[in-house]
Amino acid sequence: MSQWGVREASQRDVFQEAGKACFEDNPGVSNKDVDGLIVASAYTERCSFQTHLAPMVAEYLGIKPQSICCRVELLCASGSSGIILAYGLVRSGVADVVMVAGGEKLYVPEKWEIFYSEMASVDHDFDGAQGLGLPPPVFAMVAKQHMKQFGTTKEHLALVSVKNRRNGLNNPKAQFREPITLEAAMTAKPIVPPLTLYDCCPITDGAAAVILACEEKARHLTDKPLVYIRGTGQATLNNMSANMPDWTTWEALKIAAKKAYKDARVGPHDIDVAQTHDCFTISEIIEYEDLGFCEKGEGGVFIQEGKSDFGGKVPVNTDGGLLSCGHPFGGTGIRQGIEIMKQLQGRAARQVEGAEVGLTHNLSGFIAAHTVLVYGRQP
Amino acid sequence: MPGLKILEGRYIATMDLYPQEAKEFNRIYPFYEFLKEGRFTTTRCKDCGLQSFPPRVICPNCLSENLEWVDLPTRAKVKVVTEEEVGVPLGFETPLIHALIDLGGKLTMFTRIVNCKVGQLKEGDEVRLHVFPVDPVPVQIGRQVVQKDRVFFAFEPSTP
Repeated sequence: MSQWGVREASQRDVFQEAGKACFEDNPGVSNKDVDGLIVASAYTERCSFQTHLAPMVAEYLGIKPQSICCRVELLCASGSSGIILAYGLVRSGVADVVMVAGGEKLYVPEKWEIFYSEMASVDHDFDGAQGLGLPPPVFAMVAKQHMKQFGTTKEHLALVSVKNRRNGLNNPKAQFREPITLEAAMTAKPIVPPLTLYDCCPITDGAAAVILACEEKARHLTDKPLVYIRGTGQATLNNMSANMPDWTTWEALKIAAKKAYKDARVGPHDIDVAQTHDCFTISEIIEYEDLGFCEKGEGGVFIQEGKSDFGGKVPVNTDGGLLSCGHPFGGTGIRQGIEIMKQLQGRAARQVEGAEVGLTHNLSGFIAAHTVLVYGRQP
Repeated sequence: MPGLKILEGRYIATMDLYPQEAKEFNRIYPFYEFLKEGRFTTTRCKDCGLQSFPPRVICPNCLSENLEWVDLPTRAKVKVVTEEEVGVPLGFETPLIHALIDLGGKLTMFTRIVNCKVGQLKEGDEVRLHVFPVDPVPVQIGRQVVQKDRVFFAFEPSTP
């Protein structure tokens, strides 16, 4: 991945950096070996006034695609969507070696424009026109309800940010690489109560890239242990706020997870390491529950007892997650995939010992779609 | 503040936070016409009976186009309130207050609350529909440019 953060760089700059980093991590693969390119980006038109992005990225990375060359968008889950599509194309024989590159350039010269443009992220004509751009009000509302229903506390939320900020030290490309204390997290400035500064992921520029290949080619292109995609799921039940089935149990997440676990022939208890969508601390707590890592309503206790930390039941967001790495929408699912790949290859910056099965999860929009992938050391 | 000279005085649809409500651009334009009369409406399928929100041009259940406009309650009960003080988008005042509201058990939605102070609104309070004018849109019809008036909606506390 490229350096993530507030970058003095353009969209095309960060995609070049991400592509180069990907090839450098895999010296056996060159840009000449790649026959397909999928680019994941949500705000390319909005923030860079650029459509037809994939051929541009191909041109800049010296890739000459023959099987596929297009862009995919599902806001915060664009990157994971790209990986699922590349997986399908490779599995079906349509493509052999596909790069999935995702990222965003969100910092435009004046900040008001990004806050304003975010109103495209929800149902523009109904929720967006209510001033719902950046999502803190939505997640604040979810947190309030989760606290009321299940007794989740502000300290539970703060513990998620403390853990993920600590884990951010494992990723040299992360936006934030300074740990925070529980006290700092508990007393940070309010954003939308009960959410305070460290409960919210930042706005981020950056990109990331991975390469998927059919098994036969992969064996020739790398000497590292192969990591297999074993299961995928992507589900949505609503887009607009008025049609949300439940605010504190994310039904679409449960559907996506069930599908991915079934494909992978595993259950939640088999997951050794996970990267989940911690856009807000409350999200990670609900994700423990709805991914099945703990019982419903016990997400707060799960973090409190250290079960999502190294040495716990399922280490979650081992590279710092969105709270540390930042969140350039199209890049996030790919950043998660890279961390899981390294964990399963046994070469992560901080390793979960003996990790065999890993999981990534993204939510996108008004908590409107969920994307889950299960990766394994075995096919 | 310097901007782009070529865009000075131009209406830019891609920067418009409100919907294109005119008949020329939107088949659910009656929703906005009813709003102007203080009515909050949606569509109901006359074939399968499903009521949808937002309004539709086809029924998402049976795909029928045989839809009718029905009135929704204009008073609602507050379920959760949020107050946003940072990162409020241009065009909205700080603090920006939102609430999850229940319209007579028929619809639960997230809406902006106006004419309301921080800390004023509590769970269980009643809010009512508030319709307000927003910038008109210059619509090019042939060689003429016609200003199309628009309104939008929020909710406000029933008791000030």
